[in-house]
Amino acid sequence: MSSDFEAYEQDFGTLTAEITNKIGRIPKLGGEEKTQLVLNVDKQLEEVRELMEQMDLEVREIPIQSRGMYQNRLKSYKGEMEKLEKDFKRSRIAYSDEVRNELLGEDAGSSESQLIKLREERAHLLDNTEKLERSSRRLEAGYQIAVETEQVGQEILANLHTDREKIQRSRDRLRETDANLGKSSRILTGMLRSFTNTPPQLSPIYVSLLSLLSMSLSYLCLSAISPIYVSLLTLLSMSLS
Amino acid sequence: NYNMDNSGKEKEALALIAEADKKRKCSRGFGILFGGSSRKYEEACDMYVRAGNMFKMAKNWSAAGSAFSQAAQLHLQMDNKLDGAINFLDAGNAFKKVDPQEAINCLTQVIEIYTDMGRFTIAAKHHISIAEIYESELLDVNKAISHYEQAADYYKGEESTSAANKCLLKVATYAAQLEQYQKAIDIYEQIGTYAMDSVLLKYGAKDHFFKAALCHFCVDMLNARLSVQRYEEMFPAFSDARECKLVKKLLDAYEEQDVDGFTNAVKDFDTISRLDQWNTTMLLRIKKQIQDEESDLR
Repeated sequence: MSSDFEAYEQDFGTLTAEITNKIGRIPKLGGEEKTQLVLNVDKQLEEVRELMEQMDLEVREIPIQSRGMYQNRLKSYKGEMEKLEKDFKRSRIAYSDEVRNELLGEDAGSSESQLIKLREERAHLLDNTEKLERSSRRLEAGYQIAVETEQVGQEILANLHTDREKIQRSRDRLRETDANLGKSSRILTGMLRSFTNTPPQLSPIYVSLLSLLSMSLSYLCLSAISPIYVSLLTLLSMSLS
Repeated sequence: NYNMDNSGKEKEALALIAEADKKRKCSRGFGILFGGSSRKYEEACDMYVRAGNMFKMAKNWSAAGSAFSQAAQLHLQMDNKLDGAINFLDAGNAFKKVDPQEAINCLTQVIEIYTDMGRFTIAAKHHISIAEIYESELLDVNKAISHYEQAADYYKGEESTSAANKCLLKVATYAAQLEQYQKAIDIYEQIGTYAMDSVLLKYGAKDHFFKAALCHFCVDMLNARLSVQRYEEMFPAFSDARECKLVKKLLDAYEEQDVDGFTNAVKDFDTISRLDQWNTTMLLRIKKQIQDEESDLR
């Protein structure tokens, strides 16, 4: 008799395991399979209930002394079964993506995530296009600046060219002036020498002449020297010596 | 307070001028007899100059100008050509601000004195000043052109090619505006050829060839094509220039009478480097030519 009870226990164990398994699978399935599984689980629950009843009868036939243990076990099994029934009920109304899929067709369930994905992709692409546009605008601005720089450089070079000519001309003129001044100073020193050799009576005239000449020479240092003046000096020196 | 000061200066200046006039009249009587007349003249000159400076301070430009020119005339009478020229220059600068015509007269006299002395560089500089006055105030482009040309000739005589080129460029700009295209073309080509040999100027050469090509274009399209080819042969760097590419595009658009293509090419060029006023005027003329031909064909 106890071996029967144990056999029932084993059956109970396997059945409950199967039922739990199937209950776990119910929410994920849909349609035909679901109804099949539900019927399956229903049948198995019936079997479990029959087992429970038989276990009950068995326990009643056991003498009262050792009944306690078996009654405890029976209670736990009953609790388990009720729990299974509750789970079963819950699983039948469980909401799962499968239901949405069935209602809205195959791709429906992913539509929202797809929309999100699409929106993200679109934002990405717009970002990229904006980056490209910004880069091309920057490149164009850079090119413009390069062209402007070239123009500025070209103007500067033209100015430098003009200045170069001016400086060259001034240098030539200065050299000419320098040569003339040198000549006139040589003539004056010559006159001075001849002055020291002349008789003293005529000296005041020469002194005044020399002073006048040296004053006008310094005046001419500030303005352009004309060769006419230099020739005048030579004539004078020749007349004096 | 400041104004009071200047009007006081004016009165002083007027007094000085009266005194100087008296001195002048005085010395005329004695001039032949006394050597001291030249001293009187000199003093009168000095006073005129001082009076002129005071008028300048009081911002009475025309009075300043007349004071300076009187001083200058006295100097000329005394055969002080250089001093006369300097004073005429002062007079010219003073008149520039009020009476351009009078300023030009003074400057012309300055130029006469300097050319007499053989100082052509300075004379050329003053020709440029006169030309600028004609450009801006009197708006007589022809006279301006002639003065610029004269200045360029003097500069060439003194071997200052770059200064001469500067003047010639101005001549060419105005000539092209007045539709004297051949003159402008000659000048631009000449300057372009000179520039492309010089180390400093070769980066500006393409600009000159571009302007020459535009002038050719205004005259005749075939001329333009031939001349562009010629420039490319002479100056290989020209073919790389954006300007050259623009001209070629414009030539093609002109052949096909394609106004939109023309406008687009010009717009592309403009976005990178702005077209200046002269360029825009010439391009507009060419564009009008295309449009006229189109309407003629219709």
